[in-house]
Amino acid sequence: MKPQHIKPQRIAVVTTIYRYLSHAQHMVDRFLIGYPHEGRWHRPNAEIVSLYVDQRPEGDQSEDRAREFGFKVFPTIAEAVGCDVDGILLIGEHGEYPKNDMSQVLYPRYEFFKECVRVFEEQGRAVPIYNDKHLSYSFEKAREMVDDAHRLGFPLLAGSSLPVTWRLPDLELPLGCDLEDALMVGVGGPDPMDYHALEAMQCMVERRRGGEVGVRSVQLIDGDEVWRAGEDGRWSHTLLESAFSRSDTLCGFSVDDGRPQDLLGSGEVFRLVENPSAYFIEYNDGFRATLLMLNGAVRDYCFAAQVRGAPDPVSTQFLLTPVPNVTYSACLVSKIEEMFTTGRAPYPAERTLLVSGMLESCLISRAQGYERIETPHLRVEYTAPAEPQHARS
Amino acid sequence: MPRRPRIAAVVTVYHKYAHAQHIVDRFLDGYGWNGRHHRPDMDLVSLYVDQVGENDLSRDRAERFPSMTIYPTIRETLTQGGDSLAVDGVLLIGEHGDYETNNKGQRLFPRYEFFREIVDVFRDSDRSVPVFNDKHLSWKWEWCREMVDTAREMGFPMLAGSSLPVTWRTPSLDMPYGARVTEAVCVASGGIDGGDIHALETLQCMVERREGGESGVRWVQAYRGDAFWAAHHEGVWSLELFESALSRSHTLTPQRAGFNNPFPTIDEMKRLVEDPIAYVYEHHDSLRSSMILMNGLVQDFNFAANLDGQDAPLSTQMYLPMPPARTTLANFFSPQVHHIERLFATGEPSYPVERTLLTSGLVIAGVDSLAQEQTKIDTPHLEIAYVAPEESTYWRT
Repeated sequence: MKPQHIKPQRIAVVTTIYRYLSHAQHMVDRFLIGYPHEGRWHRPNAEIVSLYVDQRPEGDQSEDRAREFGFKVFPTIAEAVGCDVDGILLIGEHGEYPKNDMSQVLYPRYEFFKECVRVFEEQGRAVPIYNDKHLSYSFEKAREMVDDAHRLGFPLLAGSSLPVTWRLPDLELPLGCDLEDALMVGVGGPDPMDYHALEAMQCMVERRRGGEVGVRSVQLIDGDEVWRAGEDGRWSHTLLESAFSRSDTLCGFSVDDGRPQDLLGSGEVFRLVENPSAYFIEYNDGFRATLLMLNGAVRDYCFAAQVRGAPDPVSTQFLLTPVPNVTYSACLVSKIEEMFTTGRAPYPAERTLLVSGMLESCLISRAQGYERIETPHLRVEYTAPAEPQHARS
Repeated sequence: MPRRPRIAAVVTVYHKYAHAQHIVDRFLDGYGWNGRHHRPDMDLVSLYVDQVGENDLSRDRAERFPSMTIYPTIRETLTQGGDSLAVDGVLLIGEHGDYETNNKGQRLFPRYEFFREIVDVFRDSDRSVPVFNDKHLSWKWEWCREMVDTAREMGFPMLAGSSLPVTWRTPSLDMPYGARVTEAVCVASGGIDGGDIHALETLQCMVERREGGESGVRWVQAYRGDAFWAAHHEGVWSLELFESALSRSHTLTPQRAGFNNPFPTIDEMKRLVEDPIAYVYEHHDSLRSSMILMNGLVQDFNFAANLDGQDAPLSTQMYLPMPPARTTLANFFSPQVHHIERLFATGEPSYPVERTLLTSGLVIAGVDSLAQEQTKIDTPHLEIAYVAPEESTYWRT
């Protein structure tokens, strides 16, 4: 039952495609049919009133959903967001869009967002926007999006579901901790999967002493150089062992016959990963963190960090629950709903802004022969929320 | 420096994804624990494998770990080929393998028979050592009781049961110690004499922490098929708890095409679940627990309970990273091996074997009820009272 005493919020959806297992489908559907939250089937006090969908490939569900749930599909973004809504879901993920030469898919999130902003300005009223995943493939565009939100004073929530999903174990770094080193292990291709991994890493390291002060430089390296960098101490073997110890998906012998492995100690990781990548992030306060993309070694996302003075590293797995339920997206939808209800983003969009820029600069580093790149534009400062935001209740 | 404890393993089969593989491999290869690759401070020196098939891995393991010898008999495994007991702990893993099924659907795993051979060596050696028994004790109640009584009489510590009580939980929570629990359910997957023991252990590891401790079980009644749905409609178990448990699942089968995570209607559940099974049982302090198997609807183990004075149920999922679909490693065996190591190192079981004695008896009573036209079975023999440890024993570090 929806609470009857409070008027349901009117939500507009602006999306690239609406097809089974697209981000739009599993996130918007949760507003339509509810979702699991804190041990009950939660039905948001919100109704989808309008939808804009950019592409209608085979399997498009937008018209079916509109008919069943009584909302309207509009041919333009302006019309979809112009019908007196209280919040906007901007989901620019999946669909056929060109790639640039750095393997970034040029999803039109910025263009969609600017259309929303144009309507806000015309109507003299702005409402909260959730932007799925990174803000844009371009930091410049992402910066403008966040600036627009501040300028017009509307709440903006963005990013991946990794920061808000279950963690095994339920680890949160203490706010203000003296962080010495951090390492994230991810898998998948450049933009999007490295984006998810970078944001998972960022939601942990942003809690270090002094708060987030932005990134001074980045460097991406590929291939055997990654192993040499480990031997040279540019990333920590101890932290990699710790991250691997959280993985449920070690490859190689574990796939063959089920055995657990010390993937690093045995050297198997060097055999299993044909083309490792390391994303080195150096922050303005001198802190360094590394993302290792290790396709072939594992299939999940694990993090390890060393707090100064602590005897051992801390580590966790960001749990990506199975397809098709992908309940981790329910964790994210509850954060979106929280923003719509309270008018406040539970965590700052600056996190996503910074990660959008980190990723772009890393890919530029690769394109420019793996050079270290100074990133004065990434002086993005923000304070992490004191309260943990991931699923834990 | 004290000598490293020596461990013997007595198992039915040793193939990929057999319990023996998961558990023994963790002693041999180590496993991820507390944020590092942990290697047990003890040596698995001897192994007995009852059935060696084409997919056997024990020979490969013995080759890779020459410190482990495979013996043709349980006695030699425990004596390392000598005259008397030569190990400091025994793993008894009687799960998987080609064993008969009786007409009630129970697999006749030879856990009791193995146990008898183990204690024969203990007796002959005038010395006994800790024993871990994987899953339930036996398919026959008298044998379960005898196993626990023998351990007590001979004075050796025993740990038993499923990995469900010790695996991760989403969310990571325990039953508050001393809580006044008014009703509990577990909604899970699996079949008779398989999923049921895991689901019963899921229930029991939570409700045993209630005020007054575990008091044992007065009666058990099973429901299946149409009788299950009739019981569901009549409210034999709380609909609120049932729905709360389902809301913890990560694997709800979507019944409607095009939707990835809908909550099932009752008609959809009836279509999805061909053979729903429940074991409902009343504890001696009047607590009612319901173990519900919904194959086809969920593939995980979800718990919910009502607590006196709480508005909303307490609920969680006992999370199994289950290979091969979702993972490559059955890491829910890692916390179990952690507790086994502790048993062998300290002689202290982390949780009482009476829990598994009770759940073994509940499986048998549930299966009997199903075989006897789903009648209510009085269980005076299950007046098994015990006190759970206050410290939580599930995986959270």
